[in-house]
Amino acid sequence: MFNKILFATSATEACDHAARVAFAMAEKYNAHLEIFHVLGLPTRAYSQVVIEVKTRERIEIDEGYCDWVKEEVRMYYERFLEKLGDRYAIEVAIGVTHREILRTARNTNPDLIVMGGSTHHLEDSAYRQLITGSTFQRVSGAAHCPVLVVTRPAASFWGGFSKIVVGTDFSESADAAVDYGIKLARSLDCELSLFHAVDISGLAMGQVMIQDDIEEKLRVARKKMRYRYLPKLEGFTDYSIDAWEGIPYMEIVKYTREKQADLVIMAHHARRFEEKKDARMGSNLEQVIVRAGCPVLSINRTVGRQVDAEK
Amino acid sequence: MPEGTLCNKQPIDTDEQLKALLGDKGGKVYYEEMKLLEVDQEKLQDTIRKTMKSRIKTWLKICAHCGMCADSCFLYRINDCDPKQVPAYKVQSTLGEMVRKKGRVDNAFMHMAMETAWAKCTCCNRCAMYCPHGIDMGVMVGYMRGLLYQQGFVPWEMKIGAGMHRVYRAQMDVTPEEFVDTFQWMVEEYEEEYAGLTVPVDKEGADIMYTVNAREVKHYPEDLAEAAILFTIAGEDWTIPSSGWELTSLAMFAGDWEACRMQVESVYDAMERLKPKRMIGTECGHAHRATVIEGPYWAGRPDGKPPVESIHYVEWVAEALRTGKLKIDPEKRIKKPVTLQDSCNYIRNHGLKEITREIMSYMVEPGYFFDMAPNKEHNYCCGGGGGFNGIGLYRPQRNKALITKRDQILGTGADLVIAPCHNCWDAIRDLEEEYEIGISWSFLKPLLIDMVIVPEHMKPEE
Repeated sequence: MFNKILFATSATEACDHAARVAFAMAEKYNAHLEIFHVLGLPTRAYSQVVIEVKTRERIEIDEGYCDWVKEEVRMYYERFLEKLGDRYAIEVAIGVTHREILRTARNTNPDLIVMGGSTHHLEDSAYRQLITGSTFQRVSGAAHCPVLVVTRPAASFWGGFSKIVVGTDFSESADAAVDYGIKLARSLDCELSLFHAVDISGLAMGQVMIQDDIEEKLRVARKKMRYRYLPKLEGFTDYSIDAWEGIPYMEIVKYTREKQADLVIMAHHARRFEEKKDARMGSNLEQVIVRAGCPVLSINRTVGRQVDAEK
Repeated sequence: MPEGTLCNKQPIDTDEQLKALLGDKGGKVYYEEMKLLEVDQEKLQDTIRKTMKSRIKTWLKICAHCGMCADSCFLYRINDCDPKQVPAYKVQSTLGEMVRKKGRVDNAFMHMAMETAWAKCTCCNRCAMYCPHGIDMGVMVGYMRGLLYQQGFVPWEMKIGAGMHRVYRAQMDVTPEEFVDTFQWMVEEYEEEYAGLTVPVDKEGADIMYTVNAREVKHYPEDLAEAAILFTIAGEDWTIPSSGWELTSLAMFAGDWEACRMQVESVYDAMERLKPKRMIGTECGHAHRATVIEGPYWAGRPDGKPPVESIHYVEWVAEALRTGKLKIDPEKRIKKPVTLQDSCNYIRNHGLKEITREIMSYMVEPGYFFDMAPNKEHNYCCGGGGGFNGIGLYRPQRNKALITKRDQILGTGADLVIAPCHNCWDAIRDLEEEYEIGISWSFLKPLLIDMVIVPEHMKPEE
């Protein structure tokens, strides 16, 4: 499943947790790891000046500088690289980060993109810790392969995939996430848990929901999951199906913790990233990403269609 | 006659030469070599004799040194009214001297002329509107840039830019294959969201042939997708040419007349080959000037026009909104203070001032649009026109020049500056970076995408 992994990194602390997972995955699954770093934003029209992503300094770019940055990245990950032998490459690019990650992914066609959290950690605030990076959102929305994101240190102490949770809201993309989860569980011989959360967050806003209705919704959800997903699980026995009520992202995080899962798979719904200055909590996926105790893998509709086609 | 390996009188004609020049970080060796570059005085005089026509001769002669042009020049005003920044002085002390001395000028003079040509004038042509004789110093500086380029006295980035056009027929190293591939990639990325989205390549006889700025391909390819989405929503019959797609001309900024001709001919060839009804270029001011206004003369076209009717993107947007091809959801109109940057190259120099305001009337909720003062054909240059944005050597002067635009924007109280021009967009972005006045800036396309009504047949299947 993972022959070629693209690890998109800022080569800073923000990506350290993701790095641990990316290198461990490459080692464990014998994959080739492309370490990809976008070193700066183009600026000053057609001039050769670039704003360095790490230092925010203005630098004059040339091949020598790119080689120097590659060497920096190699040094940064030196202790991980020893274990990979020659199964890695370091590439740097100039441009808008999400666009260059997508461009290289299009050219190299990896099985997985691994990314870290927001690089805005330096201007840290509670709000910043509540959202994923805009680069992740843009990449995961448009990538042609699953995107794995690791934002918390707790999510990176990881010894391989053995227990997978897939969250579903029964959308087309969520069905694709389930399909991918089943494929991964079969391939890596994992335990699989399919999970749905009935959203009762309206209760806190004064929306009346009687318990009978909630429990009916839970029954329907379980039934729906069995009807929808059991035929796909033919011959696979190590699975469970659950539905809980609550705030969906919180329930997924709690369920993952209870299952001691080492991977959550969820669908990425939004196609376009909208830049907004005001704080926003974002989608369930984003919230799971910043809260889960394990890596989160996002599947968008494009990847979903590929999984469908393979079936 | 000593010439440098990097700084010399030869234009860049190969990829190897380009790479060698690019490898000289910041042009350090290039500018060192320039200090030793000899002026070919005979050639200079010969070129002046052959190329300086009656208009410029007359202007040089009739300039009364009255100083009426002084206050019209934003660089004069922002530089503490330094007399050396008076447009008439800038031209008389450089081009005027070259002519009067019959080309017998030295290296130091050429360095001074280079700084004047690229750091003291953005060829915005504003002074021409205030000269009692109608003398256009911008045109004369543009002409002088050609003389300086020929002698090798041209800023490093400008030499590279002109070389890019010679080698790639684009301002950046983007090949035709990369252009088409990137456009198709972008359309693929958005086709799920907009059903039926495609990019027709090299379609003959289409209503529209669309041309772009290579920077969109290289760094901001979303712009290509946005163009495709808007053409498709408007139901246009459009195409892109696989070659001759670059609308811009850094060669024009550099004064490389030969490269100007080569570049614009590649676009005209595409027009002749595909026979579209019209050519529409992206949101770029100088590119429009180069390909639509000046280009026909560079290419020696007797009617002074491109092979097919060619319009600026703002003209198409206004037309599409006027005819209802693009409909804006009134709920989504911009409801925050907005201002508009008038690009010198198609407002002052091509009279499209009312067109852009017509667009604003559709996009902005009444009461939220605030014009800059002065505006329309009297507007000031963004501060980075004519190549100023891209030249590292003159960065401090350019940053100072941005103050004019900064203060104009602050005067409007706007949060958002709409800049349908790449150069202006860059300059406004840079001024925000430099002076942090808390504004945002945008081309028209992304704003339109957020507010146009998508027809039913283009909505994604759920």
